[in-house]
Amino acid sequence: MEFLFDSFFSAILLLWSIDPELVEIVSVSLKVSSTSTIIASLVGVPAGFLIAFREFPGKRMLITILNTLLALPTVVVGLFVYAFISRRGVLGVLDLLYTQKAMVIGQVILIIPIITVFTISAISTIDERYRKTAMTLGANALQTAWVIIREARFAIVAAVIAAFGRVIAEVGISMMLGGNAKGFTRNITTAMALEYDKGEFVLSVALGIVLLTVSFGLNIFFNYIQGRARV
Amino acid sequence: MLYELSNLKKIYGKRAVLDLPHLSVEEGRIVGLLGPNGAGKTTLLEIFAFLSGPTSGEVWFQGKKVAYENNRLRDLRRRVVIVQQHPIMFSVTVEKNLEFPLNIRKVPKQRQEEVIDELLDLVGMWEFKHARAHNLSGGETQRIAIARALACSPQVILFDEPTASVDVENQIAIERIVREINQDKGISVIFTSHDMNQAARLADEIVFLFEGRLAQSTYENIFSGQILSGENGDPYCLLQNKVKLGIIEGKMGPVRIAIDPSAIQVSQTADDPPPANSFKGRLVQLTDEKNKVRALVDVGLPLCVLISKEDLAAMSLGMGSTVWLTCPPDSIEII
Repeated sequence: MEFLFDSFFSAILLLWSIDPELVEIVSVSLKVSSTSTIIASLVGVPAGFLIAFREFPGKRMLITILNTLLALPTVVVGLFVYAFISRRGVLGVLDLLYTQKAMVIGQVILIIPIITVFTISAISTIDERYRKTAMTLGANALQTAWVIIREARFAIVAAVIAAFGRVIAEVGISMMLGGNAKGFTRNITTAMALEYDKGEFVLSVALGIVLLTVSFGLNIFFNYIQGRARV
Repeated sequence: MLYELSNLKKIYGKRAVLDLPHLSVEEGRIVGLLGPNGAGKTTLLEIFAFLSGPTSGEVWFQGKKVAYENNRLRDLRRRVVIVQQHPIMFSVTVEKNLEFPLNIRKVPKQRQEEVIDELLDLVGMWEFKHARAHNLSGGETQRIAIARALACSPQVILFDEPTASVDVENQIAIERIVREINQDKGISVIFTSHDMNQAARLADEIVFLFEGRLAQSTYENIFSGQILSGENGDPYCLLQNKVKLGIIEGKMGPVRIAIDPSAIQVSQTADDPPPANSFKGRLVQLTDEKNKVRALVDVGLPLCVLISKEDLAAMSLGMGSTVWLTCPPDSIEII
């Protein structure tokens, strides 16, 4: 146990001193995960809306598949994307492997199902009367959709936050597609794994603290918005 | 004509909730759609609002046939607005709710402000401008919903049970607003109600709906009952296990019976022996209705009667007076 306490205090000192390597690692994590969350939201929220609203053959099957994909292991996504972007893959010429772009691609695939599924359930709980009200007030299809998404905004924001939490904490995709290259693709989780392998716990613990703080901060932020809405 | 429907049917599953061979509604009036729950009032109102189309049949609006196939309904929807029975507010402020239809119509910001203030004034809700719409009471929500509907500058406003879920104070205010909308702004109004008194107070014309069809009579005194055979073999109808009503013919078993309130005869004393289907009752309610008075008489069942004002004055009836009601055979209809 002692080493944990020692590491903890050293980690606090490291954070306090704003270690440049630590800042680099954290910024890679935040940049990659934010980018993938934004892209996945731009795809997942409209997709979830359309699936919730439209009736089409195979709808239930699609939702079942999306639900299954919620449990998608990161290493499977890593392997799948690797098959496309490695030198031998069809997208090999683009030279994406071991770049931040590759990490974003993998993470987007990982969380699109999360955002889509939670958006579907968020939209489904919105009272039918909102749609009718918007329509009778003269709204077109897009304006009506906007009304419904606005009413579901907190649940959708919650979905986006959950997705961000998933990607910032994942390690499989970052490792397999990013390659843990120092200064380029080394992020919080891959750095922690590496430091652990080296038997160096101080940086690991410091990064762990950062990771938890980010999650905590996001949840406080979310609670704040939700609380304001109830006033 | 504002609306003309022909051979209109609306079918949910296998049940025809609306079956209207012909119905026309005139422009510029207040029209009440009256009927019990499940009569198809709301379904008809949503067809008038172009929120849903009929399963079969034609709808004509302002002389033009409505085409449900293409996506031109939004242009029609911009002329008609419905205020639902439990109107829903967007979870923003009252002001933002009123801005919504104005923004859609690209009304300039400055003009929006004027319109909103004017409308809030009309519905007497000025002080709620910056309130969160979800915190309003049922009656307040209804009034804001009316203001929001008026912000669409519609030619027609449809109200679904405008006062069904509000207190008396708001009910009076809402009825006043409905009248003002029609008289001052010249907007055609169609509203649904299951309250005969309200319909009579507000409407220039009343359309009766019963089980999806137009009803000929008011179908106001509707009772469920059981047709049984009397001691001498004549059939009678036992209404709600309370009142025995003689009938001329009818199949044995459960039925619904309507008694036309304008055909019931009222007197202060009864002949001896009293004629068939005469009931002694107590006058419990009187409502003014154009040139007549609507009286509610408790004869074991609440029975509505229309009395002319002269007859009422001649009999000097008051609350609690004992009266005799006689239902002639042609006032009774099995439905």
